Amino acid sequence: MGTIKIPIGPQHPALKEPASFLISLDGERIKGFGMRLGYNHRGIEKAAEARTYIQDIYLIERVCGICSHSHSTAFVQAVEEIAGIEIPKRAKYIRTIMGELERVHSHLLWLGVAAHEVGFDTLLMYTWRDREVVMDLLAAISGNRVNYGMNTFGGVRRDISKEQQADILKAVDILEERTKYYAGIATKETTLIKRLSGVGYISKEDVLKLGTVGPTGRASGMSRDTRKDDPYAAYGDLDFNVITDTHCDVYGRAVVRVFELFETYKMLRQLIKNIPDGEIAVKFPRKVQAGEATSRYEAPRGEDVHYVKANGTDKPERVKLRAPTLANLPSVEKMLEDNNLADVPITIAAIDPCFSCTDRSIKVNNATTGRSETLSWGVLRAQSIEWYKREHGIDFTELNKKYQIRGN
Amino acid sequence: MTELNKEQNIVDSVVKKFDFMNDKIKTKRIRRISAEVVFNNFRQVFDYMVKELNFNAMCMITGLDEGENFGLIYHITGSHGVVLNLKTDIPRNNPVLKTISDIFPGAILYERELVDMFGIKVEGLPEGNRYPLFDDWPKDQYPLRKDWTPDMLDKKGGN
Amino acid sequence: MKMQGNMIGKIVTWARIKSPWVIHFNTGACNACDIEIVASLTPIFDLERFGVLLKGTPRHADVLLCSGPVTRQIEKRLKRIYEQMPAPKFVVAIGTCACSGGVFNGCYSIKGGIDSTIPVAAYIPGCPARPEAIIDGVVKLLTNFEEGERKKRRAAK
Repeated sequence: MGTIKIPIGPQHPALKEPASFLISLDGERIKGFGMRLGYNHRGIEKAAEARTYIQDIYLIERVCGICSHSHSTAFVQAVEEIAGIEIPKRAKYIRTIMGELERVHSHLLWLGVAAHEVGFDTLLMYTWRDREVVMDLLAAISGNRVNYGMNTFGGVRRDISKEQQADILKAVDILEERTKYYAGIATKETTLIKRLSGVGYISKEDVLKLGTVGPTGRASGMSRDTRKDDPYAAYGDLDFNVITDTHCDVYGRAVVRVFELFETYKMLRQLIKNIPDGEIAVKFPRKVQAGEATSRYEAPRGEDVHYVKANGTDKPERVKLRAPTLANLPSVEKMLEDNNLADVPITIAAIDPCFSCTDRSIKVNNATTGRSETLSWGVLRAQSIEWYKREHGIDFTELNKKYQIRGN
Repeated sequence: MTELNKEQNIVDSVVKKFDFMNDKIKTKRIRRISAEVVFNNFRQVFDYMVKELNFNAMCMITGLDEGENFGLIYHITGSHGVVLNLKTDIPRNNPVLKTISDIFPGAILYERELVDMFGIKVEGLPEGNRYPLFDDWPKDQYPLRKDWTPDMLDKKGGN
Repeated sequence: MKMQGNMIGKIVTWARIKSPWVIHFNTGACNACDIEIVASLTPIFDLERFGVLLKGTPRHADVLLCSGPVTRQIEKRLKRIYEQMPAPKFVVAIGTCACSGGVFNGCYSIKGGIDSTIPVAAYIPGCPARPEAIIDGVVKLLTNFEEGERKKRRAAK
C-alpha cells in the first residue's frame, strides 16, 4: 500500500525556527523519521575567516539568540588559549555569572515552550513572566536582553557593580521560590506527569552511542556535563551537582532542567559571595600567533564545542563550531521510533532544539491508509492535544483554569 | 602546578601500542592532547583510543583546507574530560574518507558537512538528505575551500 | 506594568482599528527576535488582550512578522507564505537582520533582508528588537493603514 506523507513545513509557530521532517507512519505508529536541516544555514564559519577576531565575537554571538553568551565565551576562550593569555579571575567570575543567568532564562523559556506543546498554556505565561526577572537583570548588566556583548579577548567589557550583585541575589531568591512552585507542579499534577511520562524514551546505552548531550542525555542517566568534566571560567571553584535522572523520557528532561535551575541558584550565590576584586580585562594582541585550540562550554542545551586555528594575522584561519542541538538531533529519530504521531511535537521540543544553532517542517507517510498529508506544526500540535484527550483522557483545560493568573 | 598524570598516561599508552606515534602525540595543556597520524594508520589508532582509552564520545570533526591536502581533526572525549584532537590528512586531488559512523552513529551529520563544504567523499555514509547546504546549491562549489569565494555563487547563477 | 500611558493609548486605538491576526515566520534568524515576538504576547507586554492573535496559518493572517535574514534555502517558502495571505496584508521586518541582513550581510547563503524577497511595510531595527519596539512598529503600521483607508474613502466620495 502507499503511505501518508505529512510534511510539516519549515514554519513552526511553536518551535520558532525552520526545519523540515519526514515521518513514515504505519497506522498511528512512527516507523521512520528523516530530517532536512539547513534552512538556518548562514555560512557563519566562512564569514568568520573573512572578518577580524573582534568582528567575529559579534558574529559568533549571534549563532543562537538564546545561548549567545555560550557561543561567545566558547569562542573567546579558544582564541585566548591560542594567544597564551590568562584572563583575570574577576573576568572569569563575570563570564560565569552571565552564563548561569543565561541558563536560567533558557530553562524557564523551555519550560514554557514544553507546556505550550502539550496544551498547558497557563504554565507558559507564568514561566515567561518569571523569565522577565532575569531578562531585566541581563539588560541592566549588559545593556541588552539578548546578545550581551559582555566578552572581549582578555576578559569582559563591563563590570557587575555591587548594586547589580545585590539585585542578582534578590532575583535568585524570587526565582528560587518560583522554581519550587514549578517543581511542585511537575511532581504533583498527575495530568502533566501522565502526559510526559514514557514519551520520547531513549535508553542510556543509546544516549551514549548517539552522543547526546545536555539535559536530554542527563535525563537518561548519562552524567556528562562540561562544567564538571572539563571546567572552564570559574567552574573549578564552584560546588555544585550534575543533575541526572533515570526516567529516560520527556518527564525526565523536564525534571533535570528544573533541578538544574536550583543548582544554578546555588552557583550564583557562591559566585556573588566570592567574586574577587581586580581587573576585568587584560591587553590582548590584535594579531593572534599561529596555533589552535579546542574550547568546550556547557550551554543550556548541552555541550558546545569550538575549534579555532590562528595563523598570525588578525583574522582566523579556521573557525569550526558544533552546537549542542546538532549532537542531539540523531537521538530524536530513536525517541520517535514506534511512538505515536501525537508525540512528535513534545518529543522534538524536549531536546530544546535550537535550529539556528544547528542551522530546520514534517512530512508524514502512512503505509496503512496509503495517504499523504501536509500538516502545519500548529495543526499537528492541536491534533496531538486532541489525541491525548481522546485516547488517554489527558486534558489540560482544568489545569489551565486552576493556575490561571487572575486580573493583571 | 597541575599534574598532568592522566594525560601522560594516555600519551604513554598510545606510544607503547603504536611506535609510529612516538613524537606525534603531545599533551598541550590539562585535558588537551593533540595527535597526528597518517591516513593509512588513522582507523587503528582511532579505534584503540575509543575502545581502550575510553574516548567514547565524539565532539565533532573539523575539516581544514591546507592546500595540497585536506586536514581532518577528529575531536573525541570521554568521562575523564580529556579532549583528544586526532588529526589526519587526505590529498586534495583524491579526497576520500571512510565513515566512522559504525562506532559513532552521531557522526553522520559531521561527515555530511565535510561532503557539502569541502567536497570530500565519505565511503559508507548512509543515504540521506544533504547537510547543511540547500537543495539547488550548484555542483562543484565547496564553500569552505580556501579558493571559493561567495561571488562564485552568483556567477554560476545559483539563486 | 512596564508600558507607559501613551503606549497603552496607541494600542487601544489600534485595537479599535482591527484585531490583527499575525503570523510569525523565521527566515534564518538566530531566534533572539523570535523570542521577543513571543515575549510580546506574554503577561508583561501582553498583546493578546488587545486582540492580537498569533495564527498558525497564513490564510488567516493580516500581518506577517518576519525575523531573520533571508537564507537562499528559505526564499521560495517565504514567497509562498506571502502569496497565501489574503489582502490587505502587511509584512513587518523585525530585527536588524530582517531589515538589512544585519551581521550576516555578505554571508554566502544570505540573500539579504526581507525586502530582498517580498515587499515590507514596516522595519523594526534592533538586535534583537525589543518587545516595546515591536509593539510600537506594528501599531504605527496599522494606524498608517487606517489613515490611508480613510483618505481613500474620502477621495472616493
